[in-house]
Amino acid sequence: MKKIQLIYGVIVAAFCLATMNLSAQSPKGKTGVFALTNATVETITKGTIANGTVVITNGKITAVGTNVQVPAGAEVINCNGMKIYPGMIDAGTKVGLLEVGQIPQGSDERESGEIIPQMKALSAVNPNATVIPVTRISGVTTVVTMPEGGLLPGTAALINLHGYTPDQMYAGFEGVVLNFPNTGRRGFGDRRTEDELKKASEKALAQLNDVWEKATQYHKLDSATSGKGVGYYPEMQALVPVIRGERALMVEVDLQKDIQAALKWVKEKRVKKVVFTGVSEGWREAESIAKAGIPVITGPVIAIPNRDYDRYDARYSNAGMMAKAGVKVAIRSGEEGNGNYRNLPYHAGFATAYGMNREEALKAITITPAEILGVSAQYGSIEVGKVANLFVCDGDIFETKTQVSQVFIDGWKIPMQSRQTLLYDEFLKREPGLSKH
Amino acid sequence: MKIMKNITILIAAICISASGFGQVEKGTVLIKNGTVLTVTKGTLANTDVLIKDGKISQIGKSIALPQGAKEIDATGLFVMPGIIDAHSHIALDQINEGTNAITPEVFTGDALNPFQMSIYRALAGGCSMSHALHGSANSIGGQSQTIKHRWGTYDAEALKMEGAPRTIKFALGENPTGHGRRDGVQPQTRMGVEFVIRKAFSEAREYDAKWEAYNKAKAVKGFRGAPPTYSLRLQTLVDILKGNIILHCHSYRADEIQMLLKVTRDFGIKRVVFQHTNEGFKVAPEIAAAGAMASVFADWWQYKLEVYWSTPYNAAILVRNGVVTSINSDSPDLIRHLYHEAGKTQKYGGLSDDETLSLITINPARQLGVEARVGSIETGKDGDIAIFKNHPLSIYGVPQYTIVDGIVRFDREKDAADMRIMVDPRQTVDATLYETGHAHDFCMQDTAGLFESMENENK
Amino acid sequence: MNMRSRIVSILLTLLLPLSVLGQDEQVLAPVTRTYAITNVNIVQAPGRKIDMGTIIIKDGLIRAVGKGIAIPADAIVVKADSMYAYAGFIDGLTRAGVNKPKEENRDRVKDPGNPTPERAGITPWNDVRFSLNPSDKGLEEIRNLGFTTAQVVPYGNLFPGQAAVILSGGKGADDMVLIGKSSLYSELTGANNVYPATLLGVMAKWRELYRQAAISKSYEAMYASNRSGLERPVSDRNLEALYPVVDQRMPVIFKSERLLDVNHVLTLKKDLGFSAVLADVKDAWPIINTIKASGAKTFLSIDLPEEVKKDEKKDKKDEGLNAAAKAENEGLEKRKAEAVQQYAAQAAAFQKAGVVFGFSTMSAKTKDIPANLRRMIAAGLTEDAALAALTTNPAQLLGLSDRLGTIDNGKMANLVISDKSYFNEKAKVRYVFVDGVMFKMDVKETKKGDPNAKVDIEGTWSTVTETQQGRADGKLTFKKDGSNYSGKISGGRLPSPIDLTDVSLDGNVLTFKYSMTFGSNTIAVSGEVTVDGDSFKGTVSFGQNRTAPIEGTKDPKN
Repeated sequence: MKKIQLIYGVIVAAFCLATMNLSAQSPKGKTGVFALTNATVETITKGTIANGTVVITNGKITAVGTNVQVPAGAEVINCNGMKIYPGMIDAGTKVGLLEVGQIPQGSDERESGEIIPQMKALSAVNPNATVIPVTRISGVTTVVTMPEGGLLPGTAALINLHGYTPDQMYAGFEGVVLNFPNTGRRGFGDRRTEDELKKASEKALAQLNDVWEKATQYHKLDSATSGKGVGYYPEMQALVPVIRGERALMVEVDLQKDIQAALKWVKEKRVKKVVFTGVSEGWREAESIAKAGIPVITGPVIAIPNRDYDRYDARYSNAGMMAKAGVKVAIRSGEEGNGNYRNLPYHAGFATAYGMNREEALKAITITPAEILGVSAQYGSIEVGKVANLFVCDGDIFETKTQVSQVFIDGWKIPMQSRQTLLYDEFLKREPGLSKH
Repeated sequence: MKIMKNITILIAAICISASGFGQVEKGTVLIKNGTVLTVTKGTLANTDVLIKDGKISQIGKSIALPQGAKEIDATGLFVMPGIIDAHSHIALDQINEGTNAITPEVFTGDALNPFQMSIYRALAGGCSMSHALHGSANSIGGQSQTIKHRWGTYDAEALKMEGAPRTIKFALGENPTGHGRRDGVQPQTRMGVEFVIRKAFSEAREYDAKWEAYNKAKAVKGFRGAPPTYSLRLQTLVDILKGNIILHCHSYRADEIQMLLKVTRDFGIKRVVFQHTNEGFKVAPEIAAAGAMASVFADWWQYKLEVYWSTPYNAAILVRNGVVTSINSDSPDLIRHLYHEAGKTQKYGGLSDDETLSLITINPARQLGVEARVGSIETGKDGDIAIFKNHPLSIYGVPQYTIVDGIVRFDREKDAADMRIMVDPRQTVDATLYETGHAHDFCMQDTAGLFESMENENK
Repeated sequence: MNMRSRIVSILLTLLLPLSVLGQDEQVLAPVTRTYAITNVNIVQAPGRKIDMGTIIIKDGLIRAVGKGIAIPADAIVVKADSMYAYAGFIDGLTRAGVNKPKEENRDRVKDPGNPTPERAGITPWNDVRFSLNPSDKGLEEIRNLGFTTAQVVPYGNLFPGQAAVILSGGKGADDMVLIGKSSLYSELTGANNVYPATLLGVMAKWRELYRQAAISKSYEAMYASNRSGLERPVSDRNLEALYPVVDQRMPVIFKSERLLDVNHVLTLKKDLGFSAVLADVKDAWPIINTIKASGAKTFLSIDLPEEVKKDEKKDKKDEGLNAAAKAENEGLEKRKAEAVQQYAAQAAAFQKAGVVFGFSTMSAKTKDIPANLRRMIAAGLTEDAALAALTTNPAQLLGLSDRLGTIDNGKMANLVISDKSYFNEKAKVRYVFVDGVMFKMDVKETKKGDPNAKVDIEGTWSTVTETQQGRADGKLTFKKDGSNYSGKISGGRLPSPIDLTDVSLDGNVLTFKYSMTFGSNTIAVSGEVTVDGDSFKGTVSFGQNRTAPIEGTKDPKN
């Protein structure tokens, strides 16, 4: 037992050194042809391949299997004893919008206004945000970045965590965010009475219905007049694709009562493309969500239950209970504010430890979010023809101690460094130490 | 012998019937055949641990079950010391007396709430005790209480770990300076923080000298004279100067950590533990040389400017530089999975299993001055144990039992949904408090009202 | 004239011809101070009863109690045939009869860490006797229930000042006082946004002040014995007010509703060793033994949480829930009902543990008090123990046993007389004697609430509000919507109709509320009338303790 640990320690140490050497090289990414050989490939959609090879050619996965010819001129990375997973997708973050908290200049998450679906997160994504390298070197390659605020705070976007402009990062999905009227108390600072809470949520629902009716009218007039009969009305213009089912409505909803109300609302309004996000009390309404066929992006999993009398593990087990009832469940980290989107696999891991099927949990951070967001043809699994978003690691990616040794995004071999690894390199043995000379 | 036994019974009877204020319940339990992670004495396979009357009395093979004692079959399970959180605010009704920059006279032990669900939930994460710290709204905050998670008691006093050393919270950086700016008083900068602390200690020295002189004079027969004005505030600072209180200091930046090291050196204060210490890695040699300790987050950063240059390798760098380091929660959520938080140091810095487990057991025990009592599985220590299915450092580790003083306070099998002790008969039954649970700085709780009024003032 | 009273006057000129406010009614003195209460069941003390006896009262004292007693020639005879007489009830803690300060103490100060003691809520030198108001409505309300004596305290937080035991009636403020400086009052609550703002600061400040008082008192003693060559002690009225507490001559009474409040008080008592009184205790049944062992005196709150009633509307709402959610809700409702029951059973638990306790009304709704007592009795408190907690126990706890608590010759003539046993659901208080002065209850009111009456209030009513100086006319309109009512008030000099809120009809008792806004100020008005066919009678209340009678007749339907 002890010996194994020791050997393991040596391996880990060796890897750390390897990472350090790598990071000492170049801060730039590299594209071209790569062959990752001798790996255990977790394809997600096509099972696990032992001793497999994955070939990446100019951004795409061009070969996967045991019997794969390594193309001439390819950079070969021997992954003996290692695993390859598709890049993880965190479908609910503030990446690129939040640089640092508590100071207004550090944040672009929240625009002024209750109904502002025309605010586009993608426009404000900072490609040089510190959190981007921090997140991607742990294997999270793709994230939804979302605005926050009032009822309709803006439009979220799916981005890859590599690129020098928002356009280079954009990964093919945008969705309008709706914070569904909430009847719960938000945090210890919320001192509203039950009555005030109820009234606020009723008012918000009335407002929502009003917006929806206007957007529907706008869509009808717009269609009837081929766009000529309606004026500049940015709020409505941002909502028309949702009314038409061309763009998803991402409904943030948590409490049982609110989930019930949201299900009713979606049905009444015949919303065509909808996904529920948050859904921390989904276990209380799992059957009705499944029946409505609405997919869910839930998280954080590692979080406190909403109610005093809830079982302590209510949120750990929530994703699994929804999945068991037949809900299509993706898991997000929900680690906003602390910059820890890299902990996404641990949220899936906790869901597994508390009852979710392990394969389902792995899908919940790869192919399932890709499917929910409509990008499963490009992302979420290791298959020929898909975008080469993947990473190499030394074990089960849910396990806390697992080290990611290489990440590819859009076929770009990512430098395995972030400000946080550089600080490690600099300070593990600080020079000068205690005295300067 | 018989007389002795009768006396024991008599004493036991008194303990039950008497006041009960601050009384601690203790139990006997035999944990059979587990993989015992002692933390300080290696890992023992297929081993029994006997807790008798609240203390670990025997560790070994085939220990006989004492009559009437409870037995837990730990075959295939992992048995570790109860997890200790050196920085938490659970079980507290109030956290910050943030109205004055210097409030050492206040004491979180006065605001304990044994009914908070956070206590039970911490137990459900294997955490048997925590440090109920004052908040960080002011430079010198309040005295803090080391508590055991004795869920089920109605007596706030019974949460207090009997005999634990006194501790106090100090705070540097953005939180105390923010309060200074709000109130238009010092400190509003890190310079000001140093000054208010030095000033407080200097005044305490003078205060102590006055009382010493008075008490000395008073001892002489026939003495007549006026006593100095009593100040609980200055008296508490004197107690720090005399080494009777362990100083726990909320800190983030390297410069402020060094500042406090110099201040405490100048005033002869030996026992210093830095809390948060996000930039501790930059001054690890200085912290180690001063014999100070550090209690840190595993990976939190980004939530404010002073944590912007953090790294999750912090704990590993501190450990490698010889600093006694712990991983803490400062959160009612993180306290439930400190085993996982600690596990991150294996990803970020490759610490061994024992080094990692030390971060949440024996090391926080050292920081609270209770290492002789808790923090490892050794005979004679308190019967505080967490039993896991799967290794606690694995993501699949799930706490099954948490034992405090030999009493099983959490049993996953017997967990009912509604574990509340007291029910508020005026509350609607489905009241919810929805929080995402991650992005809070719980250190600043109870100060919301102050900010509110400030906003109103600015309007 | 402050803003609020100015608004009340504006309101009055709108609704009412002029003041019902000003002018005190002229009260005529009784012809004699001698009474004979005859043919009454006398419960002299818990467990001590005389059937059909006589009580003679003279000059404020009980002069004779028993059967076959001669009735003095100068006595007014009160024929209390088959009624029940008890010693007047004693309330351990209330603010009835105490004026509320006009402004709350929440000014923003320059340095919140170092406020003045007053701003910090530290005024132990204050005396509730400076704030007594004999005509306070709250006092009349508890007197109508039979409370003849009460310990009252000033408003405030940390150390609001000193309490007094008063009679619930008297010629003037001083005349009402039975014991001045009966105890020092403390609430362990923080000041608004200044030090000490939280329980943490309050506990520390408490300890510091107490210890400072002890030191300063002992130095003053040294100084008094020989002043020569000694520094003059600095006068500090806050510390001086604490000297009797340090000396154990004066207890400190705490509002300690929650179990944890009790814990905090006992912590201070353990640290400092003063004599403590726990009052308005609501949920301390789990720590009775701790309280008992501490020696702290106890007044339990007479307030109880509302009983859980089957809510039909809610059942309907539950129909949409899945089976698991329904089961969960049932479980939660059950726990809530159990909790409510535990509150009701607190007094019984204290009785069982052998604790001598009284009651306090501070946070109770007056009208609920008799029902609350019955709920406590239903939960296991014996009637004798309930009576003891209203009479002999508080007399003992307040050191008044020589004067109050029983109906015995020589004691003060504080009595309550009800038409049935007091704890009977249908009992009505008919007479209350305070210090030998008789208050006769309006029997008409007993007819008032008829839960089985069937009345129809829908339609428009013409109302008349009578005052001493004239009358005001108005219109009230009610509409039924399902099982709920809505309504409007118009007329008087109101510029436009105002919607009523909380209109409810319970049997034949109709209540309604509305509020009037003037700029940023709002005045709440509430009405309660008894409907009899096409007419009603009752009162409207507004502002603080202002009332006026109102009568109405229904307009014919068109």
